Amino acid sequence: MSHHNENSIQHLYEGDQSKLYSGVMSHHSDVESTESKNQIKRIWKVFWVLLLITLVEVVLGMFFSHEMPKVLVAFLFLALTLLKAGYIVAIFMHLGDEVKNFIVTVMIPLVLFIWFIIAFLADGGFWLHMNQSFR
Amino acid sequence: MSQATATATTATEPKLWGGGHSPFNVSYGKMMMWFFLLSDAFTFGALLIAYGTTRFFSAVWPDANQVFKSFPFLEGMNLPLLFVSLMTFILIMSSVTMVLAVHAGHYGDKKNVVKWLLWTIVGGICFLSCQAWEWTHLHHEGGWWGSFTADNTPLSAFQGFFDIKRDGLATVAASGMRSTHDFFNYFFTITGFHGCHVLSGVCFNIMILVNTVNGTYQRRGHYEMVEKCGLYWHFVDLVWVFVFTCFYLL
Repeated sequence: MSHHNENSIQHLYEGDQSKLYSGVMSHHSDVESTESKNQIKRIWKVFWVLLLITLVEVVLGMFFSHEMPKVLVAFLFLALTLLKAGYIVAIFMHLGDEVKNFIVTVMIPLVLFIWFIIAFLADGGFWLHMNQSFR
Repeated sequence: MSQATATATTATEPKLWGGGHSPFNVSYGKMMMWFFLLSDAFTFGALLIAYGTTRFFSAVWPDANQVFKSFPFLEGMNLPLLFVSLMTFILIMSSVTMVLAVHAGHYGDKKNVVKWLLWTIVGGICFLSCQAWEWTHLHHEGGWWGSFTADNTPLSAFQGFFDIKRDGLATVAASGMRSTHDFFNYFFTITGFHGCHVLSGVCFNIMILVNTVNGTYQRRGHYEMVEKCGLYWHFVDLVWVFVFTCFYLL
């Protein structure tokens, strides 16, 4: 980050890096360094994990989901989906490498989804019950 | 805390919220991209939850293994979920190439940024082509916005979308057409909205590729724009993970 003009305040607003990459450019590390190679290794590892989870989901969906209890199937698929989402957000989007305050700031609004999902699905289920009970 | 200690603390290390730097250690642009994605997550969430509500509301629902069982050039074969698995693989792969482009950007490695951005764009275009094929295929099967509403629609037009053994022919005959109609409305709306995101993501990626090749980011001293577009691109992949579960698995 040595190229910016010290008198300019531009550097306050651009180029701040997450903990993971802080100082990488000012230390002039290069892409061939061990640190960089470990990063790339981590990226490919996550790729294989995501692929494996997807394969498990597909095999489950193709051959087993119709013979299993519906609640168990839903639970398994949702758990695997959230696991995948967690890997993408934490590693690929580097949220896991940000400051804790920032992680919390991003995650808190998502808590609304818990209410959102329960309330609306319960409503849908109730309407089905009403439609089938009173004709 | 007294005035004296406060001054002493400031002298040794800058206070987190004391100004002069980002307390979150992220730039303004990156933080705003996160907040935009948060709002976009609520838009997609609302669509998917509306889909779930309608599904809970319905006595029967089309079976994914019956609706999505075709593969290009292998017509007539029963290959449930195979094509969408390919689409999912393509999108995950393009997410990997994007994160590699971001990584190269952090090290100012222009050549690798260009290489990985190109692969990401190729992946995005492949995904969109797959989606175009799937939409065309389902359209030929009779699905579209507002389809399956005519009173004289025969049972044979939609019973193929259901698992008759599980649901029973009588229930499908009674409420199957309505839920097929709902299913396709949601399917085309949600995958269409997601497809628009992929399309705009490909456009952004092409724009930053042109900038990278022109050396704009090299002169600027950092490749943060690649990182911001990367966040958007990963979000598109993230949404697909949920769309995949809601439409194809559950």
